[in-house]
Amino acid sequence: MTAASPRTAAAAPDTRPGVPIRIEGLTRRYGSVVALDGLDLDIAGGEFLALLGPSGCGKTTALRAIAGFDRPDAGRVLLGDRDVTGVPANKRDAGMVFQAYSLFPNLTVAENVAFGLRVRRRDRAEQRTRAAELLELVGLADRGDRYPHQLSGGQQQRVALARALAVAPKVLLLDEPLSALDAQVRVQLREEIRRIQLELGITTVFVTHDQAEALSVADRVGVMRAGRLEQVAGPDELYERPATAFVAEFVGTMNRLPATLSAGAVELLGVRRPVAGSAPAGAVEALVRPEALVVTAGGPAHVVTRTFSGAVTRLLVALPDGTEVRADLASADSQHLTAGTAVSVVPAERPVLVVPAEPA
Amino acid sequence: MTALAEGVAGAGGVAPDTPVRSGRRGGGAWRFAVLGLLGLYFLIPIAASFWFTVRDRRDGGVTAEFYTGIPGADGFAEAFTRSLILAALTVLLALALMIPTVVLVDLRLPRLRTAVELLTLMPLVVPPIALVVGVRSVLSWAPDYFLGTPLADAFFAIQEPDLPWILVFAYVVLALPFVYRALDAGVHGADLRTLTEAARNLGASWPRVLVSVVLPVLRTSVLNAAFLTLALVLGEFTFANILGFETFPTWILRISGSAPQLSVAVSVLSLLVTWLLLLMISALDRRRGTEETA
Amino acid sequence: MLTALGTVPFFLYVAVFLLLPIAVLAVEAFRATDPVTYEETWSTGSITTITEGVYRRAYLGSLQLSLITAVLAAVLGLALAVAILRARRGQLLRRMVLTASGVLANFGGIPLAFAFIATIGNQGVVTALLQDTLGIGLGGFSLYSMTGLALVYLYFLVPLMVLTIIPALEALRPQWREAADNLGATGWQYWRYVGGPVLAPPVLGATMLLFASAFAAYATAKALVGSSVPLVTLQIADALSSNVVVGAENLGKALALGMVVVVGLVMAFYAWVQRRTQRWLA
Repeated sequence: MTAASPRTAAAAPDTRPGVPIRIEGLTRRYGSVVALDGLDLDIAGGEFLALLGPSGCGKTTALRAIAGFDRPDAGRVLLGDRDVTGVPANKRDAGMVFQAYSLFPNLTVAENVAFGLRVRRRDRAEQRTRAAELLELVGLADRGDRYPHQLSGGQQQRVALARALAVAPKVLLLDEPLSALDAQVRVQLREEIRRIQLELGITTVFVTHDQAEALSVADRVGVMRAGRLEQVAGPDELYERPATAFVAEFVGTMNRLPATLSAGAVELLGVRRPVAGSAPAGAVEALVRPEALVVTAGGPAHVVTRTFSGAVTRLLVALPDGTEVRADLASADSQHLTAGTAVSVVPAERPVLVVPAEPA
Repeated sequence: MTALAEGVAGAGGVAPDTPVRSGRRGGGAWRFAVLGLLGLYFLIPIAASFWFTVRDRRDGGVTAEFYTGIPGADGFAEAFTRSLILAALTVLLALALMIPTVVLVDLRLPRLRTAVELLTLMPLVVPPIALVVGVRSVLSWAPDYFLGTPLADAFFAIQEPDLPWILVFAYVVLALPFVYRALDAGVHGADLRTLTEAARNLGASWPRVLVSVVLPVLRTSVLNAAFLTLALVLGEFTFANILGFETFPTWILRISGSAPQLSVAVSVLSLLVTWLLLLMISALDRRRGTEETA
Repeated sequence: MLTALGTVPFFLYVAVFLLLPIAVLAVEAFRATDPVTYEETWSTGSITTITEGVYRRAYLGSLQLSLITAVLAAVLGLALAVAILRARRGQLLRRMVLTASGVLANFGGIPLAFAFIATIGNQGVVTALLQDTLGIGLGGFSLYSMTGLALVYLYFLVPLMVLTIIPALEALRPQWREAADNLGATGWQYWRYVGGPVLAPPVLGATMLLFASAFAAYATAKALVGSSVPLVTLQIADALSSNVVVGAENLGKALALGMVVVVGLVMAFYAWVQRRTQRWLA
């Protein structure tokens, strides 16, 4: 069983079967608000790309433009080599899973899954076997004759996924499909989505505002802000080498500290470290991950709170000037650093990322 | 497009996460046809009625005499006052009956909910004229069977033409669906259970809970129910007509033969009164809405 | 158990002022008074009478008028409701139509009848206008007829439909339409498989409400046509106001009981359809 269209498979038999997506100069305005500002994005066939960003950054608008729900004011959308910019949503072959409550309430689970085949007038037997096949894939083979309201939220989203995949779409679009679910179900389902995606090799765009979700499942993550992409990169690179302060702060936790840049080194918290990133010499902002701070007992700073979370413990430390920083330590090494303890904080011995200081 | 912009601006000037569906372009013609035709259908009678009442038949000019003549019209004052008194009594009785019931059912007796709901919906489907025939039959027991007993005296007392209490009793029944739904919405919207539990937890007695928690919380729904009932009683014709009492609507019908313009003028005014009552309700609703989101 | 006592006034009140009168109807419709001895006996005479002749015509007239106006109002009201909801964020228009619907749905009875008399009655403003300009008046149309009544009834039934159906329309999630689009459905297919089936029960329910409302309407008909149009409500009023015919009172009760039975049957049908169509809501 393959989700790719036969045409693409024939055209490129030796590559991954998925259809590439290409977005060129996509612009969309709502009144005076710019939701998409000339967005360019290339997604390889079979790739799992997450679009990450705060609400209102345009990620959902971008996804809806690919699905055809939203006509862009300018720009093009290509699925494979086909320009679909003007193609209505019901002729696009893009499977979509919505945030929640998108199952048709009057149809059973199996009828929901078979809906795409039904409107394509496939015969009943084919509808039935295909629905059973897809329900098997998402682990709900025994729930075919239930109605959506009889399922849990997580099960409903599985059905929605099965329904989107039943018509063998060229690409799979996921619009925050996990945001309405409980934390545990969320983790479980995102792993399952990834498993199915790899199994089918279908090009997938996954919109989310949860960075942990994006980093854990995607091949690449695109961080969006104000209708533009700030950075598109693999999860590791995004975390280790954020291109901008915005990305740095949005992905993971980041301390922003004032620092001085001179002679290829940065002076920070009273010590000098090699520099990564670029900024004009002088006052800069240093971006330091909590795990890149070293906390030792005794010193001018003091611990404000200590939050234990298994192997790692996070300390909130107030510096002498009142600035608060977050530092992560192995729990075993930090038992004595309780709230109120006097400590000193320095950056670990490794290059420190700096960005131009933003005017306050 | 401007409407869209408004909607977006309402979201704090940030593009909504799930943008408003842009809608199908084109296909708007039928919409305008529907709105236009129905708009005409609903506006013409009102406009024509107004013209009917201000046109001076003698010189073709304009006159307000039919409106200024209403207060002095024969029988108007009594009939209208009677309707107002009936309305006030109906509102009070309906609230006195329903507030404890709705609150009790919601807080303590959820088992009774279905029964209360069904009973309060009945007046919506039982034709008033059928109900009034039944009421008339019951009332006729007084001369037929009970003559000379205190019960018969009570039956006659509630049929006093100056203040027919039987209409109040019947109108309370007719108002049940609206009063119940308004109060029930208020009780639900406020999560009265949590509020009363909190008050009880802080040591308030049940009467105290009623006065200082339940009533203030239900204020808007009580007013809502009151206005709806008021509108209902001021327009009710069937009971008054069949039982032979003169109220505002039956008065209009009585004078219509001799004073057609006057009857239409009063009708136009009563439309305005209904309008005002409902505007007040929606103003209340909106205020409650903003209070809740604030 | 003391708290249960608090609901006694309500149940007592409903029993006395709602259930008792209906029960009395159901019993006394089967009583007959002998015109000579004034003795009361059990009899199905009244019931037989109301299924014949003028009364039969009155029932058929009422059923016909209510059914036609209910269906028409349901269609028009649904179209109007869809039109104002489709005006995306057309907040002003929407609020205007909703408020107007609230007012007009309550604007029944006597004032409504006079508004139409002033408009297209014999002396009506529009009647005169058409007479003066086109010289044809209203053509063959008469306000004081079944058709005229239907036209007037729509005036409060359409707003009633708008008010009752808007919550159901708002409950249609935009995701369903988008999901259907996404799966390749045409607009028609969406309505055929999803929108229509989901909307059908509330539309049917609203239509039933309109039917009950039109069937029970009395004031408007009384003011417009007296008793020249065969309608049950008018026949009941006639029977009750007749001091001449002995037993007319019981005839009125039989007619009223008949109305309750008709409405009851309609509601039973509605409940049955609801149960069949709403498996997915259970």
